[in-house]
Amino acid sequence: MSSNIKVVKRHGDTLKEKLYLPAIYDGVKVTFKHLFDNVSDSNAVDTLEYPEEQPTDITSRYRGLHRLTHRADDTIACVACFMCATACPSNCIFIEATEREDGEDEKMPKSFFIDTLECVFCGYCVEACPCDAIRMDTGIFSLTGNSREDFVMGKEQLLSHKGAFGEEVSHART
Amino acid sequence: MSTFAIVIAVVSLVLGALLALLTIPVLVWLERRVASLIQDRLGPNRTNIFGFRLGGVVQSFADVVKLLLKEEYYPSHIKMGRWLFMLAPVITFSAALLAFMVIPFADTLMIDGEVLRVQALPVDFSLLWYLAIGAIGVLGVIFGGWLSHNKYALLGAVRAGSMVISYELALGLSALAFVITYDSVDFNAMVQWQSGVFWGVIPAWGILVQPLGAIILIVALFAETNRNPFTVAEGESEIVAGYMTEHTAMKFAMYFMGEYVAMNTASAVIITMIFGGYQLPWVSTETMLTHFSTFAVALMVAIPLVVALLIRWMRKNNTVRPTVSTDGGRGFETKVLSIALVVMTLFIEGVLLYLGFFAENPVANTLAVALFQVAVFVVKLMMFNIFFIIIRWTVPRFRYDQVQRLGWYYLLPLALFNLLVTAVVVVGVNA
Repeated sequence: MSSNIKVVKRHGDTLKEKLYLPAIYDGVKVTFKHLFDNVSDSNAVDTLEYPEEQPTDITSRYRGLHRLTHRADDTIACVACFMCATACPSNCIFIEATEREDGEDEKMPKSFFIDTLECVFCGYCVEACPCDAIRMDTGIFSLTGNSREDFVMGKEQLLSHKGAFGEEVSHART
Repeated sequence: MSTFAIVIAVVSLVLGALLALLTIPVLVWLERRVASLIQDRLGPNRTNIFGFRLGGVVQSFADVVKLLLKEEYYPSHIKMGRWLFMLAPVITFSAALLAFMVIPFADTLMIDGEVLRVQALPVDFSLLWYLAIGAIGVLGVIFGGWLSHNKYALLGAVRAGSMVISYELALGLSALAFVITYDSVDFNAMVQWQSGVFWGVIPAWGILVQPLGAIILIVALFAETNRNPFTVAEGESEIVAGYMTEHTAMKFAMYFMGEYVAMNTASAVIITMIFGGYQLPWVSTETMLTHFSTFAVALMVAIPLVVALLIRWMRKNNTVRPTVSTDGGRGFETKVLSIALVVMTLFIEGVLLYLGFFAENPVANTLAVALFQVAVFVVKLMMFNIFFIIIRWTVPRFRYDQVQRLGWYYLLPLALFNLLVTAVVVVGVNA
């Protein structure tokens, strides 16, 4: 026979194992220890009491709800180039461009909608943006509403979201 | 029959019904809580009425309301035997419920020369009643599964049938050994036999007198209740929900509740037959009645200790971690419950003080002892139910052929051997 064959020992043939009861006793010892520990100090149970308790381990790379950034002078950083809408795999970004009057750039969005019910939170829009105008660093992971319209984010709402990790203004358009 | 006898009979019946029915929601909650605590989770603890969550028991009542309001769906492919399809869950449920009714909750009361049993059904053939009625429960399972005209349900019913032939013989034979030992088929006589001692100090509990018979009885009763490790009639991984696949809403709830009543009944039978029933070890009813003042003083010391421990536990555990924003009224609940417990303790202390030292009323003393025995019984019942639940979340399931193998190759010969040894010993002792 080949020396590669490794014979694994079969268990369950000894009297002790056939009796079942010693094994059940060992198992009950483990489960009872957990039960006793948790009953005597139920706050030590490692569960998150959501929603009273919120997660604290959201990292800066977490893709949360989108926001539109500002420039240093508080004007909108977006130049309505449609790169994000083009990159979007679920076609949930709707932009209407208009001429820009404040002298910063030529274009700006007149309206900017993201349908978060369609969005898959892939982050391609953030990658595509040449102006660092759209970001997903709000840290918002739960979104609730009473109707479908509540989930379509407009320009004003997207501008009002704050970054959760200290980077407020756009890096590309200062 | 005096008025007193009628009152005792009614109270026993109500007590039996309450202990069987009111424990269902408690057991459902207990199962979920114990399971989650064993698995380092918390389990249902949110549902509350005016901030009173009682650890989450309220959840079960919400579940009952949900099940009552569900659509009564009726599978249209069942053409024949609709009435039996509907009746099957009721058979299982009522068999488990009726089997519970012969459990004695306290010792037989001797008042003014009258003998009053504290048993919902005051009969003296309790064990036979339990074996007969308890075995009917599986008929509901078989009917329900067969009439569903569904392969999973049919397989579940067939497996339930195979279970019955696996454990019933061992159950009957081990029970027979106990009948020989106790020389009675009356549960109350069994408990009275167990309140004695043997070899001077060891309490004559069935588990100590007949360890082998006790183990066989416990295993067989686990099989009878269809609980882990013997859940062969239902199995999510192989046959969906087994025999109850086609049953919905209250029909399902009947099976579900029947399972818990059966578990409760099995616990009660195990306690009554092998764990001394409503008795504490070394303390028989006569001892408590003749030394009533001592008994009262012992209780007056013990009850505040238990209540103090309970309140301390509640103050520590009915709270939330500091990281949680609100405690959802748990602090208020702890306060109210603590006050209620203290008031109850003071009331009981007062009654015991009066009965033990100022009133010389044998009837009141008898009743006080009976109440104490009911309390002991309930505590033992709950402890054994928790044992059932722990076993469920510890042991993996047997295959149905393994159950048959266990029943026929191991339990049956052992039970026969035990019966033989018991008979020889009993004849030898009596000769």
